[in-house]
Amino acid sequence: MPSAPPLIVHDATAKSPQAHGDAPSVVGQGATAEGAPLLTLAGLTKRFPGVLALDGVGFDLRRGEVHAVCGENGAGKSTLMKILSGLYQPDEGVILHKGQQRRFATPLEAQAAGIAMIHQELNLVPHLSVAENIYLAREPRKGWFVDRERLRTDAQRCLDRLGVAISPAATVSSLSVAQQQMVEIAKALSLEAEVLIMDEPTSSLTESETQQLFRVIHELRAAGVGIIYISHRLDEMVGIVDRVTVLRDGRHIFTGDFANTTIDEIVVHMVGRSLEDKFPPRCSTPTEDVLLSVEGLRRDGVFGPVSFTLRRGEILGFAGLMGAGRTEVARAVFGADRHDAGTVSLGGEVLRIHSPIDAIRQGIAYVSEDRKAQGLAVKMPVAHNITMTNMRAVSGRFGFIRFDQETQVAQQYIDRLDIRTPSTHQVARLLSGGNQQKVVISKWLFRESKVIFFDEPTRGIDVGAKYAIYQLMDELASKGIGIVMISSELPAILGLTDRVAVFHEGKLTATLETRRTSQEEIMHYASGRTSTAV
Amino acid sequence: MNAPAIPALITQRKDLIQKFAALGSLLCLTIAFSLFSNAFFSVGNAMTIALQVTSIAYLGIGATCVIITGGIDLSVGAILALSGVVAAMAVKAGAPVPVGMLGGLLVGALCGAVNGLCVTLLKLPPFIATLGMMLVARGVALQITDAKAIGGLGDSFAELGNGSLFRVVKMGADGFPDVLFIGIPYPVLLMALVAVAVSLLLNRATLGRHLYAVGSNTEAARLSGVNVGGVTLFAYVLSGTLAGLTGCVLMSRLVTAQPSEGLMYELDAIAAAVIGGTSLSGGVGTISGTVIGAFVIGILRNGLNMGGVSAFIQQIVIGLVILLTVWIDQIRHRR
Repeated sequence: MPSAPPLIVHDATAKSPQAHGDAPSVVGQGATAEGAPLLTLAGLTKRFPGVLALDGVGFDLRRGEVHAVCGENGAGKSTLMKILSGLYQPDEGVILHKGQQRRFATPLEAQAAGIAMIHQELNLVPHLSVAENIYLAREPRKGWFVDRERLRTDAQRCLDRLGVAISPAATVSSLSVAQQQMVEIAKALSLEAEVLIMDEPTSSLTESETQQLFRVIHELRAAGVGIIYISHRLDEMVGIVDRVTVLRDGRHIFTGDFANTTIDEIVVHMVGRSLEDKFPPRCSTPTEDVLLSVEGLRRDGVFGPVSFTLRRGEILGFAGLMGAGRTEVARAVFGADRHDAGTVSLGGEVLRIHSPIDAIRQGIAYVSEDRKAQGLAVKMPVAHNITMTNMRAVSGRFGFIRFDQETQVAQQYIDRLDIRTPSTHQVARLLSGGNQQKVVISKWLFRESKVIFFDEPTRGIDVGAKYAIYQLMDELASKGIGIVMISSELPAILGLTDRVAVFHEGKLTATLETRRTSQEEIMHYASGRTSTAV
Repeated sequence: MNAPAIPALITQRKDLIQKFAALGSLLCLTIAFSLFSNAFFSVGNAMTIALQVTSIAYLGIGATCVIITGGIDLSVGAILALSGVVAAMAVKAGAPVPVGMLGGLLVGALCGAVNGLCVTLLKLPPFIATLGMMLVARGVALQITDAKAIGGLGDSFAELGNGSLFRVVKMGADGFPDVLFIGIPYPVLLMALVAVAVSLLLNRATLGRHLYAVGSNTEAARLSGVNVGGVTLFAYVLSGTLAGLTGCVLMSRLVTAQPSEGLMYELDAIAAAVIGGTSLSGGVGTISGTVIGAFVIGILRNGLNMGGVSAFIQQIVIGLVILLTVWIDQIRHRR
């Protein structure tokens, strides 16, 4: 990651003839000429079964301001943005839009009010042209037909406003990610959007593309557009962000002028001290025995080279931001993805792993990050999911499954992990998130592995289930199993692991003793600042 | 308070309804046709229907396995023609009938294997892979026979399709044979055998469980150590082999090998599976359901025939039945 923040002069009016003279550009100043801020959020609360995703969050967005919203994964940023863009309805709280109370029942309503969201995964139709995308479903007509000439000129005008050189006739799939993003922004502007929500806009941009985006953001700001800017890259915000709001565990923690706040302060606000996460005491201590040893593991363009060791009975944390390569490393060790170089050895023996089948046979397990997509066969009963990794253990002669034994095994794990299900034959889809996760974990416990990778094992599940899963990990470690826990929840990493491997953009930046580190130190390494005085 | 228990009950009830829907419509059809025609409700006609249903059932059973993995097999109609033609040509060339028919089965298995490899290795969409095979197999069958039927295959070739078990025949006083019990035709027996075997495989064997796992969530299955490629390949080989069997039985029944036989049979097979509750999105399906589905189609055809309904109207009715059952399936999945 480039260490030098983009230095951009705040005055962008010279480049943007369309900028209105009344656009306030003074950092941190009060409301607009019209009085009320563009958006005022107050007391927004959103509950999901078992989880309080947002708890009374409020801040305001002014005209011509870039307002960063920061927080760890799960802090409530996405939920908040989904409420603003009309995807979710808040359970409590109000949204004031130019001083008027509003409720957006659908994204279309939010859009009509001038609130547009640029998603991290862009929502463009790849096979259509730029112009067709910008005016999708509201094409200018000439009788029964699309007025192609006006479509092109209108689109050209939108793109010109941004000052980007993209042809309206170009097919979207032929554009770079950065260009596609510009098309999204052009689309938002064509909708007369006054509030633009950008979710991790720079996550897949190169340095020069990022600069171009920032130039456009400056021009939008000068034109009076209010921008909510969500990003993990704090360094990048220098010179572009006016104010910053920090969320943590669904609560509003801080809002202030970016210029008067240091990045370290923001980090402290972000990690804070979580009151809700309780961790079971570690009963086990790791041995000195090296169980798993990964050396120089690399996949070109994705991660590495990465080297780490895991001892018998140890819980090793993988910390880092989203996209830092933690999951990719785990999947490569497990054989789910290929790797280009490096060795994996278990108990001193070098393994040849080409597929999950090889890894499982050697005793390596991987509890996947996204249980619906990768962990559960959702249409199958709980029992069938649990025994999937080890069918031989419940099969009798001629490979026929012994149902009595299978049900017994399933019941055993249902009892042991306290899985709430009406029966062993309940379809997995109908279970709650926490219980689904326990089913996925059961599946691997039944296989009796030597090394288990837990990828975000507690994401999206309630506090009680979290505690049970932590307890289980400790129990497994005390039996000599080596555990790698990938987690974006720093309190969990600190509360449970013996050591922490910190990743940043595909590289392992530090391996720390959990007892002698802090959230701040981990965050510093995770944001790629290898040398720091903490 | 146990919230998930209530949807669970509803699910089970709905699954039952689905099962009963197919079985119930089967009964309704039987009763309705019996009222309209005396000849319909007789042992003789029952065996006729069963015999007519066998082709759809063999193919439907194969289709069910493929659809459970989330795939589709459009090539079975063409494969059955090629297999039957190859078996007949082998017999014509002097091979013993069992050897010739085994050759037919092998051709079916081979075509299925090619389908499977196209899907697993070349990563072609199943629809495209089997569409290609449909054209290729049909083309080969027509080419090697010059598009002519192969006749004069002899009585032993006809045995599989026309013979039956427990046939009781008494010589009448007038010198004509008097059939007391027409027996269970071999194809019907074979259908029962195949249905039971594949049903056992799906429900009781690890391989069958893996078929469901692949169709339910391919990635989860792969990450659980399921050999996804192998399992998928197996489904297509099974479907191809059963198509080969269908070809042999059908050509034996007609004692003629027609390279144009089995046109559109793949659609009947898929329809049977779908009427029986197999979900085209994969992961769901049973053999019992498919056999019921095959009988629904068979009885509709037979009954409408006996009622003197034209073949065109029959098509319309069967088309509507398919739409209706798939719609019910959609409702079931929308909950």
